[in-house]
Formats: sequence, C-alpha cells, structure tokens
Amino acid sequence: MKRPSTARLSQWLFLLIFVVLFVKTEYRGSDTISAAINSFFRADPLVLASYLAANRSFTWLLFPALLMLGFTLLLGRFFCGWICPLGTVLDLVTGRIRKTVPLSFLKGNLKYYLLLPLLSAALFQVNLAGILDPLAILVRALTFFLYPLFGNTLRGGWVGLYRLIGEHRDLLEPGFNVVRSNLLPFRETFYPLAFLSALLFFGILFLERYETRNWCRNLCPLGTVLGIFSRFSPFKRLPGRLCGDCSNCRSVCPTSFERDELLQEECVLCLECLKGCEKGRARFAWKPSATLSAGFVPQRRVLLGGMVSGFLLSGLFRFRRPEAEARLLRPPGVRSEDEFLKKCVRCGECLKVCLTGALYPAIDQAGIEGVYTPVVTPRLGYCEFNCTLCGQVCPTAAIPSLPVAEKRRAVIGKAVLDKNHCLPFARRSNCIVCEEHCPIPQKAIRSEIVEALDLEGKPVRLQQPYVVEELCNGCGICENVCPLEGKSGIEVFAVKDRTPLKPFAVATPEARRSDSEAGAFEETEGRRESKVRGGEKKHPKEGGALKAGGAAQDTADPYGSDAYR
Amino acid sequence: MRRRAFLKLMGLAALFHQWLLRNVAAAEGPVVVVASGKDHAQITRNAIAALGGMQRFVKSGDVVVVKPNMGWDRSPEQAANTNPVVVRTVVEEALKAGARKVKVFDRTCNDDRRCYVNSGMVAALKGMKNVELKYIENERFKKVDLKGKVLDEWELYDEALNADVFINVPVAKHHQLTKVTLGLKNVMGVMGGKRGAIHKKIDEALTDVNRVLKSHLVLVDATRVLVAHGPQGGSLEDVKYLHKVIASTDIVAADAYATTLFGHRPDEIAVTVAAHRRGLGEMDLKKIRIVKA
Repeated sequence: MKRPSTARLSQWLFLLIFVVLFVKTEYRGSDTISAAINSFFRADPLVLASYLAANRSFTWLLFPALLMLGFTLLLGRFFCGWICPLGTVLDLVTGRIRKTVPLSFLKGNLKYYLLLPLLSAALFQVNLAGILDPLAILVRALTFFLYPLFGNTLRGGWVGLYRLIGEHRDLLEPGFNVVRSNLLPFRETFYPLAFLSALLFFGILFLERYETRNWCRNLCPLGTVLGIFSRFSPFKRLPGRLCGDCSNCRSVCPTSFERDELLQEECVLCLECLKGCEKGRARFAWKPSATLSAGFVPQRRVLLGGMVSGFLLSGLFRFRRPEAEARLLRPPGVRSEDEFLKKCVRCGECLKVCLTGALYPAIDQAGIEGVYTPVVTPRLGYCEFNCTLCGQVCPTAAIPSLPVAEKRRAVIGKAVLDKNHCLPFARRSNCIVCEEHCPIPQKAIRSEIVEALDLEGKPVRLQQPYVVEELCNGCGICENVCPLEGKSGIEVFAVKDRTPLKPFAVATPEARRSDSEAGAFEETEGRRESKVRGGEKKHPKEGGALKAGGAAQDTADPYGSDAYR
Repeated sequence: MRRRAFLKLMGLAALFHQWLLRNVAAAEGPVVVVASGKDHAQITRNAIAALGGMQRFVKSGDVVVVKPNMGWDRSPEQAANTNPVVVRTVVEEALKAGARKVKVFDRTCNDDRRCYVNSGMVAALKGMKNVELKYIENERFKKVDLKGKVLDEWELYDEALNADVFINVPVAKHHQLTKVTLGLKNVMGVMGGKRGAIHKKIDEALTDVNRVLKSHLVLVDATRVLVAHGPQGGSLEDVKYLHKVIASTDIVAADAYATTLFGHRPDEIAVTVAAHRRGLGEMDLKKIRIVKA
C-alpha cells in the first residue's frame, strides 16, 4: 500500500474531527458544549460573505472565516483539498465510480450564476447561502437522514434483542452502553425534508460519475468564493501548463487540468501532481504575478447577470401563509424574524443538539425562503427550561447564546387554551397536566376551582386552567404533555413582541447559594401557608390569583430584581 | 400488618426499649417510623433500623428496585426530587443486606438525562458496585391486567414488576391536583403510556396500580418539602426544611402521616382515602403506631 500523502492525512484528520464534533453535538451530561461542529461553519467564508451581505455588519464569531480567507489569498484553495469534509467524502468514493464524459452544461459560468445570485439575494435580505453550502449539505444529510437512520437501526436491534431474550439482554448492557452513550443520538427523531437533504447529498455523489470533484469545481459556492480569492495567491504550481512531452498531470489532477493550462482557481493543492511527475518538473513555489492569468472572472456580464438574478430571486419566495406563520415558533432568544432569517445558515446544528427534539426544519411555515430554518414544534418536543444548547452551537448567533437565567425568560410564543378540547372545559373532568409541567416557578398556567356539573349532571369540583400571559415564555411543554390525543388542548402561538419576561422575582439556587440553609427556611416558613391557600381558592377575575403572583414578587424584592442570575 | 413482621418488631423493640414493647403490643395498627435529624443519611438509617432493619425486607441475592422521584430537571435544594442522600443511603442499606443488584430509575417528566444529572442522583450513586441507574427503556413497559376500578390494564415497567423487593422513596411535596404527592403517587413513575390521562380519576387509578405493584417498604423523604407550586416548584421560597424521613411497610399509613406535615388531614386527600377504602392500608392516625427515631 502506498503511503498516503500529507494532504490525504489532513483530509482524514479533519473528516474525523468533523464526525467527532458532529456526534458530540448532543447533551451528554453537561450544560455547556465546549466544541461543536459550529467551528467548521465559523471558518466558512461563504457563511461570512452571506452574513456580511445580509446584515451589513461583522461578528467576531466569524473571525475564523476571515482568517480562512486570508490564508486562501496567500495559499489558494487548500481548504478544498485539505480540510473540506464533503471533498474528503468525494475523494473517498470517487475511485469506485466509473467516469463517463464531463457534463458540458456544468462548465463555464454556471458556478458564478449560483454564487452571485445567492450573495446578491443576501444583499436584499434573503440569505439563502446555507442551502448550497457544502458543510451545511453534509451536516443536514447527517442530521436529518443518516444519523437518525443509524440510531434507529441500532436501537431497533437492541429493542428486538429484548423481545427475543428478555432480561438476559442485561448481560450485553455494558457493551451497548458504550455505543449508546458515545455514538447514538439519545432520541430517534425523524425529520421532514430528510428526503431533500439526502437527495442533495447523494446527488453530489452521483455527479462523480462524470468527472472527479465535479461538485467542487463546477458548482460549490464556497469553492467558488475560495477560487476567486485563490486567483491572487502567489503560491503557484509550476509549470503552469501541461508539458508538451507528458500529460500525466491531466490524469492525476482531480480538478485543474481540464485544458492544457492549469486553472489556478480550481487547484486544491492536493499535491498529487508532485507525486505523479516522473520528470521531477512539477513543483509549488512563491511566484507573485502582477497580472491575472485569464482576465477578469467573473466577467462583467456574469457579475451583473448574477446580481440581477439575485435581486429577482429575493422576491420570489417571500409569501407566507398566515396560518402557518401563526405557529412559526423560533428557538429561544430569537427576537426578530427578519434578523433571524438574515443570520441563519440553516446548518441544522441547533436541530441536532436540541435536547427534546423540539426543533424541526421549516418546510413552508416561513415561506419557501425560510426552508430548513429551525422551528419549535411543541407537540413533538418542548424547549427545556434550563437548556441553552441551541444558542451555544449556532455559528452566527442567529440564535443568541444566552446565560441560562436569560434564556428561561426568552419568549418563544404564548400558550393559548382551547376550551373546546381542554378536558376540564370540554369534558368536565380534572387534568392539570399542563399546570403541573409548567416550569415557571410562579406558574404561567394556573387553575381556578369551579363547582360545576359534570356531563352526567353530577356535581364536580373542577380545576380549570388559565394562562398568565405575562409569565408564559412559550416553551411548549404544556402542549407537549397535554394528554389529549392528536390536537392538544393548549397550544403555543407565535407573537411579534418577544420581549423577555421580567426576571422571576423568586429565590433560586443560583441566587441563594451563598445563604445558609436554615436561614432560608426560617424566612419562608411563616409566609408560605397563606400564600398557598390564597392562590388556590381565589378566582382570577377577582384579581386574587394574579395578586398572589404579585405578592410573591414584592416579598422577594429584597434579593434584587436580578436575583435570578 | 403481617404477623411475622409484627413479632419481629416486637422482639426488636424489646431489645432496645423495654417500654416500647408495651406500647407496640397495645396497638394493633401499622407502624410508621418518623426519624428526625439534620443528618439525612443517619435519619434514613434510623428509620430503616426502627422498622426492623433492611434485612427484614432484603434477602441475600435479591434484586431490589429503589424508586425515587427524580422526574424534574431541578436541583436537590429545589425539593422537586427525592433527596439524593436519602436515596443513596437506602441503596447502601439494601446492598449491606445482601442485595445482588439495586436498580434505581424513574420515568421522568423533563429530559431524562437532565433529570438524572441535576436531581443529584448520578453523582450520589457514582461508583457504587451492583447499582444500576438506567434511563427508562420503552420496550420494557408491559401491559398488565389491573382489573381495577378505572384502569382495566396499563403498561408498567417490567423491572419494577420483576424486582424481589420494591422500595418506594418519594419526596413529600405539594401537588396542584392531589394536594400532596407521596408514596401512592410516586408509583406513577413506573407507568408507561400517556399517564397524564389518569388525572381524570387519579385517586382510583393510583389505587388500581398500587394494588398490583406493591411497595414492600416506603420511605417518604421529608428532609425538605415543597409546600407550593408542586410538583415541580423552582423557587426556594416554596421549600421548607423538615429534616424528617418517614418509613413504613404500609403505604397508606406512611402517606397519611406525611400528609399532616402539610397541615392537611389524611381524609382530605382523595388518593389516600381511595387507597384506604380499597384495603391498601390504614389512614386513621389513631390506629397507626407512630414511632419516633
């Protein structure tokens, strides 16, 4: 076996890092994720370019991408040949795919017609770059399709084993535990758009039928950005064209020798030509050149055409169905829909990390322009009160990374009861599962006790829930746990005004840690009884229950309004 | 109370307290031990000892299930979950009595992983041999014929059903629907399916389940209790330190006594009343022998 080249080793290393980071993008016992796959996105110049275009501001989160551009300016497209995990996957499979002839319609300016409209649409506030970003394509194929399938299959086997041998399965438990706690997703979640994600990914693999690195040299918008910059790189392969007496380079080079002349912007610095050169002529050297080799690329025509199509593109998909939008719940901390759309890369990391599987890619809730952006879907999963992971993994802070105390107060939406479904109203039977699960210490869902007749005419004491809107952060656990089948009796709806809730004016462990146990006990003991009783009996419309909440705030004020931190 | 248990208790009581013998002999009803003290591990041991020691329940080679309440993503001081110190002590005692394996689990309301970690249970049981702290696995729920009043059948967790000894370790706390939640309700943690649906007639439904899944020993953690906004709490304002552990073999009696800690009478608690009416135990405090430890 041949010794793999340095570039190969680097590719494998980065692919490994990529996969490890992907698998680690999950809650595994710690509230913080130290390193997530967002490191890849933060070093992604396409993400940077579209972010700059859409937001007209810079974020230090994307500083690595700026560095990447700098190095590309210096060295060329080394990212594609040394780092890009999608490129590595292509290199791994391409040897097994027999080639026909290159597709001519992919040649020429097509890649600029992909990149430029994406960037210019971003200028018009529609940031679609993530849809064709190679890293995002790979992550989405993994998150939405391959990983759930992998997890589900392994776990299915494990469950099947239980059906087969019952308790004896426990003997294998230690072995399976290693896999479960290190490799498997905790929950199997199947995603909408899995099909589209898989199609895009396997489509790119399929293109390898026509030529090596077909996607990379003819389509990839990230590669195109890097290519534009690499044209200025003084680090060049020499000689700059095929030698007259030998054209080995053409067969060993994966990207750049379509013609006799080397295409500088396609060279991924894989260094295969050095190994393949029998005459020892091929070399890489610093050779700054004043003039560009092949004129201005993209040509002015293409540039203008691309910009105009981007402008047109930005207007094509903006329609939003109001009934879908009513349930367009964004992850916690997202205040403005417009700003969110400008920043979101659609990389799928928040969906991957979401503890309860609450986040799903939008299909058309946010219009077609919002495809793949994350949406909280409470009936399938709720936003866990103490969890801040989605903000932590978001590479562009489209979902802000909030400290837990602030995240708890971030408003996703507001819960609304549907009395036609809710058991204590519709069927006159007790329930309060929603109130029980409401994580807000003072309870955003409370109930009033009502003497009523049940449907058979017998008197019954009912606890009928109501929502205290000022306290509801829209986490959706109520909707998630509602024991009704199908439609929930309480649902979270989107709101425009997502001003965070006021700090919960109650003592929490964070605030009290310094106080002594006994002290806390003495202070609260006397006051409590009356408060319980009051909250339970009074009718909300008399203001009793609401006042009880107010009273709780007053009494706790000594701890200061930011006691919750 | 079973005769043997009763005799054992009398014997034991005779050993330690001459005067106790007369009192125990005088009372026919079940025994509820109330252990008080700031050392929560010690009072847990005291409570178990006063009931005759763990070896009364756990025989060498037994598989023991210890079922705490750890359903919420709350920290120990927020009192929504059973005190991990109490749980650890119960597990230790079971091991000392010769248990082959001790399993600890709960079907959580918040994310399993967060609950197990933040309830303090992962840390408390870390490194203990022959102790399993596993997440609930859905395939292990088995349809059980309850033939109850409101539940004909329900899915229960097989590890709880198959255990030689089932030790119920609830935390005493306020509950919006049932006023308090104690041992009888803690059994909900081994129920599968849409268990929220039993809230309609929770008193009879819980009795249905408790009739089939018997708790051999109940230890109510009242070291600190949640007096409002239960069962989840969240504010330390709602937490009250009582420094007590209540133990009994009679689940209704244990619940009945613990109810009084919240200023309620046992007959105000529908779940307790239903369980008593259907023969699961004694709720009349006058007929219960209360032993301080």
